[in-house]
Amino acid sequence: MHDGHADEIGTLIEPGRVHRRVYTDPDLFELEMERIFGRAWLYVGHASQVPNPGDYITTELGRQPVIMVRHRDGSVQVLLNRCTHRGAKVVNERSGHAQRLTCCYHGWSFDTDGTLATVPVPEGCGEGFDKNALSLARAPRVGEYRNFVFASLADKGLSFEDHIGPMKGNIDDLVDRAPDGALALDAGMHRYVYNGNWKLQVENVLDSYHVPFGHASTVNKQGVQFARREGDQKGAAVIETEKKQTASSWKDRKSFIAGNGHGWTSNTALDDGKRSSPVFDDYKHALADKVGAERATEILTPRLHNSLIYPNMSIMGLNIHVRVIKPIAVDRTEVNVYPIRLVGAPEAMNSANIRLLNVTHSAASFVQTDDLESFVRAQKGLQSRMTDWVDISRGLGAEEPDRASNATRGLATHEMVVRAQYRAWLGYMHEAA
Amino acid sequence: MALATRRLALAAGIDRGPFEDFLVDEARLLDERRFRDWMALFADDGTYWVPAVPEQKSPFEQASLFYDDRELMKTRIERLEHPRIHVQTPPSRTAHLVGNVVIEHADDGKGEFLVGSTVIMVEYRDDTQRIFAGRQRHRLRRHGDTFRIVQKRVDLINCDAAFEAMAVPI
Repeated sequence: MHDGHADEIGTLIEPGRVHRRVYTDPDLFELEMERIFGRAWLYVGHASQVPNPGDYITTELGRQPVIMVRHRDGSVQVLLNRCTHRGAKVVNERSGHAQRLTCCYHGWSFDTDGTLATVPVPEGCGEGFDKNALSLARAPRVGEYRNFVFASLADKGLSFEDHIGPMKGNIDDLVDRAPDGALALDAGMHRYVYNGNWKLQVENVLDSYHVPFGHASTVNKQGVQFARREGDQKGAAVIETEKKQTASSWKDRKSFIAGNGHGWTSNTALDDGKRSSPVFDDYKHALADKVGAERATEILTPRLHNSLIYPNMSIMGLNIHVRVIKPIAVDRTEVNVYPIRLVGAPEAMNSANIRLLNVTHSAASFVQTDDLESFVRAQKGLQSRMTDWVDISRGLGAEEPDRASNATRGLATHEMVVRAQYRAWLGYMHEAA
Repeated sequence: MALATRRLALAAGIDRGPFEDFLVDEARLLDERRFRDWMALFADDGTYWVPAVPEQKSPFEQASLFYDDRELMKTRIERLEHPRIHVQTPPSRTAHLVGNVVIEHADDGKGEFLVGSTVIMVEYRDDTQRIFAGRQRHRLRRHGDTFRIVQKRVDLINCDAAFEAMAVPI
């Protein structure tokens, strides 16, 4: 496996199953960092996190430390957070503001577009010293759609347009809900880690099969999950208690795939579209004031639950948030979940969304914690060498075209979305750099 | 400041003992997993807050690890009692230590007090032991011969770290 031989990688993925090494082999993880995280379009951050020139956040793309910073000219720059002198990480804060980015070690100082600006004791530099050649490395390609910033660490490959194209409608669905047509990711974040492979979280994002059992402890005696959102009259029926089985409305939910590993689930059964409360109604009026009543109703008609923009981010339309998946090691992953403020919405509505996300996706939440437990147990179980394959065959062959969305449709309790992720995975992993 | 406040509290004739006893009892209810009894310590308008950043100003404008009112607390506890709460199979065992108690503010007339303390909670679950530590502040209201919690706020020293799943209150 050390040479990442294409034929061998091909043997790890079959139409309805995945070899356990895909989750447990450290050499394969190294190859993923090169071939997926080293060149795919990755979500970096949201432009609202760096509203003014000099504002920055630091994050990781795969294991590469990066700075996302707003330059004087208004552009958002994605720079490698590594001094070009002796290699120290230049910016050590998670977010902040700076005129210059200055390394702590010898004081080399970089402009917010990465250009090396000043070097202490310049008379010590030799004649061949070329400041222009010592800029902070820049992500070779950066793309932005409605303030969502993506970068690729490879200078060639699928264009940003081809990558994000099929998912634009999913981003629009969320952004259009803001009366001012913009989102703000300025309400902090939830950070959690687990001892498991990064793909366990990626697969889970669109997994509707696990909910009735995996989240059984959030379902009440009437088979209903707690009401999630401001204005919801009750929670979604997840289980038919008399028959002790998954509710048919849950089983009828659909999921969709649209190439590149991307996919989404529909909101059916989670939302009857009849939200109403003083706070929600105020918000609906604020939206209607900006876009008209008819368009507001259209925008607020629930369509999407989770959308996965492969390989490292998802957006949720139900209890709105942006989620970023960060591989640390083959068996260790960090996830960051950002609450979203809808710009122009009443603060009470935004507060309700922020509070709801504590309940569903903080490290101490009612929902996410049971998923984390499942990921950890999956990683432990996959150590077994007596059963090499993971089964992802539910609904194999039952996919059908969905012309309305130019995508492929299946049942959300099937595993079509996972198979699509592994087709994309193979595509990246097969291709030598 | 702490020393000055303490002198003030002493000067006002406020005995720290009942407050310390209350905090110790509260910690024991958590360690014994008597979550319903723990919830009963909160006033009807009581809240339990664990911020996600140091010196967080508001639970309404930023993400928090916990921000439970009584209703959410009740849902949380029903979940803790559910046989299929996977993240508590097996359950956590905890040991709380509460100390460095300071009465930061006292309004004896209104019967309202702000009590600061340091908390350390060691948690063991599923072969793993971990430590939570921080400063907590209880806003208490006199209730008969005891108190009700108006707000319990726990500022963990690592509140902005990435956490593995947390299932029980600190």
